[in-house]
Amino acid sequence: MKRQNYFHVVKRDDVRLKRIILSYLLAVLIAIIIGGILLSIQNVNPFSYYKDMFSLGLIGNKFGYKQVEAFIKVFTPLLLTSVALSLAFKMRFWNIGGEGQFIMGAIGAGIVAYLLGDSLPSLIILPLMALVGALFGGLYGAFVAVLKVKYNTNETLLTLMMNYIALYLLKFFGETSGEWNFFLSTDSSRPLFASFPESALMIEIPTFFGYFSLNLSLVIALLICVAIWWYLKYTKRGYEIAVVGDSPNSAKYAGMKVSKIVVRTIFLSAALIGLAGAFYVSSAGTLSTSMTNSVGWTGIVVAWLAKLNTIAITVVSLLITVLQHGCSVASASYATVDANFANLLQGMILFAVLTADFFTRFKLVKTSKQEVE
Amino acid sequence: MNVITLFLFSIVVYNTVLLYGTLGEILTEKSGSLNLGVEGTMAIGAIIGYLAAVSTNSLWIGLIVAFIAAGLCGLLFAFLTVSLQANQNVTGLTITTFGLGLYFFIGKGFGSAWPALQSAPSVSAAYAAIEIPLLSEIPVLGKAFFSHSILVYLAVAIAVGLWLYLNYTKTGLRLRAVGENPSAADSVGINIILYKYIHIIVGSGIMGLGGLYMALVMGGSFEGSTCWINGYGWISIALVIFSNWNPLMAILGSLLFGFFNTLQVYSGSLANSFPEMFGWLSSIPAQLYQALPFIITAIVLIVTSIRQTQGGGGPEGLGANYFREDR
Repeated sequence: MKRQNYFHVVKRDDVRLKRIILSYLLAVLIAIIIGGILLSIQNVNPFSYYKDMFSLGLIGNKFGYKQVEAFIKVFTPLLLTSVALSLAFKMRFWNIGGEGQFIMGAIGAGIVAYLLGDSLPSLIILPLMALVGALFGGLYGAFVAVLKVKYNTNETLLTLMMNYIALYLLKFFGETSGEWNFFLSTDSSRPLFASFPESALMIEIPTFFGYFSLNLSLVIALLICVAIWWYLKYTKRGYEIAVVGDSPNSAKYAGMKVSKIVVRTIFLSAALIGLAGAFYVSSAGTLSTSMTNSVGWTGIVVAWLAKLNTIAITVVSLLITVLQHGCSVASASYATVDANFANLLQGMILFAVLTADFFTRFKLVKTSKQEVE
Repeated sequence: MNVITLFLFSIVVYNTVLLYGTLGEILTEKSGSLNLGVEGTMAIGAIIGYLAAVSTNSLWIGLIVAFIAAGLCGLLFAFLTVSLQANQNVTGLTITTFGLGLYFFIGKGFGSAWPALQSAPSVSAAYAAIEIPLLSEIPVLGKAFFSHSILVYLAVAIAVGLWLYLNYTKTGLRLRAVGENPSAADSVGINIILYKYIHIIVGSGIMGLGGLYMALVMGGSFEGSTCWINGYGWISIALVIFSNWNPLMAILGSLLFGFFNTLQVYSGSLANSFPEMFGWLSSIPAQLYQALPFIITAIVLIVTSIRQTQGGGGPEGLGANYFREDR
């Protein structure tokens, strides 16, 4: 049989940072241009839309610096979730259960807030909420990790199923009236999540002469990012993650306990997502069935765009938050452009990046005559 | 119709979309690709197919357009994962994000000019229920199972056709080889890339048909906040596992998952009509019914992995990209 392939694909040995950054910028540009064309078709001026999206999304306008607070509430959970997911992905453990782990963390924190919030001070209740939230999320993830290492259960599909199990558990608490159900508000006749007591609310640090306040959870989340970066780069355990991800077999030959490393890391990953859930509800002051805001899904996109690099994740999640928050704020002034426009752009950026990725990882080589024969 | 007939009837009406989604995903997965973009692919097929159907006043043109639009999503998935070696999970999720984004962007863009289903009488007429002679006269069950839109029968026909294709045709058997062990299939001269492309595209196209079906079930009215597909794409992925990658099992599976889906709506009226028999139904929380498809699938996943059967029908090479030079 004669094959007429004029090119064949070869893996590149050198992946240059400059090439990656250039290709990414090009990818974003392409997505923004296509998005602009789509906006024009809808009779929306793309320049004014993009301007509003970025300015409103990032800083608000001169009447509302409060926008910054809203921005932080979207940014913090996304940042934590993305960093956490990158830990799992580094080991090629396809944790797509971020949504479920986030919800379990929120439920854990909610239980603490509702049951103990009235009787304990902030300084005890807030750390306790964070701890229980992290534990709930972590165990929910570790359960899958144990099955994966013991029986090779497909973690992608199992974590996917567990997202929905967590969601319906949350809905059950939020929609079922009953004497026992301490999640619900007693003032409302139809089922409604109760507001947290004062002591369970996340601490807001006033800044810039009271223009806006800084949510404490953001500060903690940024510190966690630095800690994870350090953990991955300078500790033995972080190194083990890299080795297991690269090749589980060589890790085994090197005498590492691969199962233990996987379970430990997934617990950490899921616990951080649970913590993000706990932080979120503590900032919002209540539970809600739509609270995840798809962070478990978007986190995967962010982690991937950032090539699982902790510092890059911080930057990318900032940009994606501008995109998402900006579009949702702008949807108030542009009636025909849905807030979901952010998802459309995000999708196109990722398609372009996935394409660009190929050319940073592989190259096309002209097939010489001898090889064809 | 009495309550039981109505209940069974609704199971079929509201869950045939699951069958379409599952069949499309089975075909995709048999080629070794796990496409998590079902939800987005169906959403795109739904809205573009619906607009085509209503504007041309033809259900058939709508179906063709839905198939092509969703098929293009499949083409994109195949291009990125097969040719460009992109990660399948990330690519699939991106198709879902993109698809839902496009769905709402198109729908919102129409504003109050959204075309109603009533403006296309031929579409409604072609979609209307067809009673199968004799069978539809069976008491209780006849009206529930044999008086449906042609699109319901089409889904069943696709299921049977797919089963025959996968088990009894040369190309179908070769496809399974591609999914199980691509390098072995490659070495006996099967064109892996072509097989993957075609089956991913056709699989996505089938999902698109389900999207249009759901648009019609929902009466073609665009809601700004929830998509017509509303999670059915994700349940379809679960159903593939439950039905063990067998298209005929998918028919039964979609009825079973549909049973739980629909029970939450009918548990009240069933309990009222038959207090002795179904009285207990109203005391079970609705969320449990909704979660059951996912709980059952999770259990199936865990049990099959413990028994080391790997899902039996699940392709061995599922989720892994094939790079020839690595062979």
